[in-house]
Amino acid sequence: MLGRIGRWIDERAHLSELWQSQMVDYKVPKNLTFPYAFGIMAIVAFVIQIVSGIFLTMYYQPNVHTAFDSANYTIMKEVPFMWLIRHVHAAGANFFLAIVYLHIFTGIYYNAYKKPRELTWIVGWLIYFVLLVTALTGYLLPWGQLSYWGMVVTAEIPTSIDSAPLIGKFKIGETISIWMKGGYEIGQITLGRFFGLHIWLLPLILLLLVSIHLYLVRAAGISSPDGKEIDKKKEGVPFHPYITLKEGAYLMGYLAVFFFFVFFHMSHFLPPDNYDPADPFKTPAHIAPEWYLLAYYTVFRSIPDKFLGFVAFNLILVLLLILPFLDFSPLRSARNRPLFFVMYVVLVISSMALTILGVMPPTPTNAMLGLIFTAGLFAFFLALPVISVLEWGWYKAKGGERR
Amino acid sequence: MIRAVFLTALAVVFFFVIWVYNPFVHKEKYEVPQQYLKMATDVSYAKEGKQLFEQNCQACHSIRYDGVYIASVQANPNLKTLQEKYGKVLPRNVYESVFQSDLIGLKESFGKVPPDLSTMYLVKGPEYLFAFTLEPQKVLPGTSMPAVMAGRPEETAKIVAYLKSVAEPSPEEKNKRTLMGVSVIAYLVVMGILLWLWRGRVLKRMGLH
Ligand code: HEC
Ligand code: HEM
Repeated sequence: MLGRIGRWIDERAHLSELWQSQMVDYKVPKNLTFPYAFGIMAIVAFVIQIVSGIFLTMYYQPNVHTAFDSANYTIMKEVPFMWLIRHVHAAGANFFLAIVYLHIFTGIYYNAYKKPRELTWIVGWLIYFVLLVTALTGYLLPWGQLSYWGMVVTAEIPTSIDSAPLIGKFKIGETISIWMKGGYEIGQITLGRFFGLHIWLLPLILLLLVSIHLYLVRAAGISSPDGKEIDKKKEGVPFHPYITLKEGAYLMGYLAVFFFFVFFHMSHFLPPDNYDPADPFKTPAHIAPEWYLLAYYTVFRSIPDKFLGFVAFNLILVLLLILPFLDFSPLRSARNRPLFFVMYVVLVISSMALTILGVMPPTPTNAMLGLIFTAGLFAFFLALPVISVLEWGWYKAKGGERR
Repeated sequence: MIRAVFLTALAVVFFFVIWVYNPFVHKEKYEVPQQYLKMATDVSYAKEGKQLFEQNCQACHSIRYDGVYIASVQANPNLKTLQEKYGKVLPRNVYESVFQSDLIGLKESFGKVPPDLSTMYLVKGPEYLFAFTLEPQKVLPGTSMPAVMAGRPEETAKIVAYLKSVAEPSPEEKNKRTLMGVSVIAYLVVMGILLWLWRGRVLKRMGLH
């Protein structure tokens, strides 16, 4: 019976043809490594956020008087299993960002941003940026001390533009800050706006961007870890079942780790201080942004001049965006590029160190370390054109042609 | 291979530091004798703790998530009517506006309204709560909270156990959650292994191995 219904639908919708052409006849390199699974993990993380988020909206109240109780009483205690949904959503946001970071660093390692994939990279960067804003807006919603004061600090950051010579006079920073908060203070208007952005606008934009990203990935084909483009007619393995089953198995492992945190280790994702209701008159002792913003925060904080700090951390975002154009070497993948590999390690260690420094007190030593690792981060980006020129020379000397 | 191991190790250490245990962050420690710490974290004392709370703390503090309001509010017949309408936990704005005069009275005496303690256990942890309640001035110099429990460590520990019982899920609930967590994780691991084995067979049949 079920089979007949299936056939009836298929005769009309031609789904099996779609499956055959998109999943089976679609050929990918045989030697894809584990990090290639971060893409599918990111998609799953996105679906988890949407499903859990929809359930949360049913009980959450975007109102400064009741937001905290709706999250911590109604959701955590009153409605059965909503604690699980909240755990999933809060841990899910962190895992989503972690996976996106790993995905970005994988792309850098295998030089997956190179022609013909520059556009894929740029759309990916947009996803990353919108995701950061989504997480930031979501973090305000439970209306705890960290939500509130974290946003106070974040909304202060643009005002550092105003300490610049000349343009400082126009008070652009203050305008941006007021615009972010929806007024001079963080209050009901901020919460209402953030709620709207967080549950509708930003997820929809993300959905659109993710779709474009996936289309572009398909259009360009998957890069290969050793940097050689495959000839799809002769080489390559069918996406299904070769990759689907492999990455499906990895996905189960990923979800197992995820649910370990959901059930047994939530103290980082629902931090203790955020169980304290927001109080505009009580400044907490330690305010630091969430871990996914800490590297930028440390860069901002380590540079003694506020305006320069602001420029520096925005410059990092811009450099990340134009990465495909900084690296114009004919060689691909860190596997074949020793110089690039060295700088890649500098990049990874600097980013990790900056993140960890973000939660430490700003002592002079830490500020010094912050500056050193900031330099490391910039060194990676600025070394790329130099490495590219050197590699072009090397490539030509070995008889390579300009493609 | 060496590169893969190196980068994987780096990533694992990094996430361990930021998500599980960060040795670079200094946390304030409060010395609590072992016997009291054990009582303070044992929710079987919660019932006694609640009575002690009513006697010693309720004059100033509420525990809204347990339907416990400050003493003067609890004695007010309006409370019952409101609870019939809104349930045991009144919305904060309703509570704060209807009983404004009680709260303002406290604010005038102590400089601020003493905080609601529903989630305080999650924020501060048992060590801090025990140390602070026993000797407020020592832990938070200049605080306006009086040392109502001075010289009564055992009863203080029981009050902390009560605060824990309000803030955290009950032990039975916790056991249920543990069981659920273990089953979910076991299911995923088994499915992962099965998928992997099945893949081996499919690939062999297709000559792709
Ligand atoms: C006479 C009024 C009064 C009584 C009785 C009282 N408290 Fe307090 N309590 C306060 C005030 C006022 C504050 C706010 C102190 C501050 O923030 O400096 C406070 C704060 C607290 C805090 C928060 C400390 C912090 O670090 O923010 C806790 C926990 C606490 N009280 C527990 C208790 C317990 C447990 C009892 C019963 C044994 C109790 N209190 C009895 C007035 C009182
Ligand atoms: C797309 C990626 C998303 C990310 C990264 C994200 C992130 C977050 C974060 C960090 C929080 C705070 C968690 C807490 O401390 O409790 C949060 C809360 C919330 N999110 Fe999302 N979210 C996403 C999507 C969604 C969607 C699609 C919806 C609704 C359809 C949604 C609805 C909510 C609600 C109602 C809350 C407040 C409840 C609470 O605080 O527990 N989210 N989100």
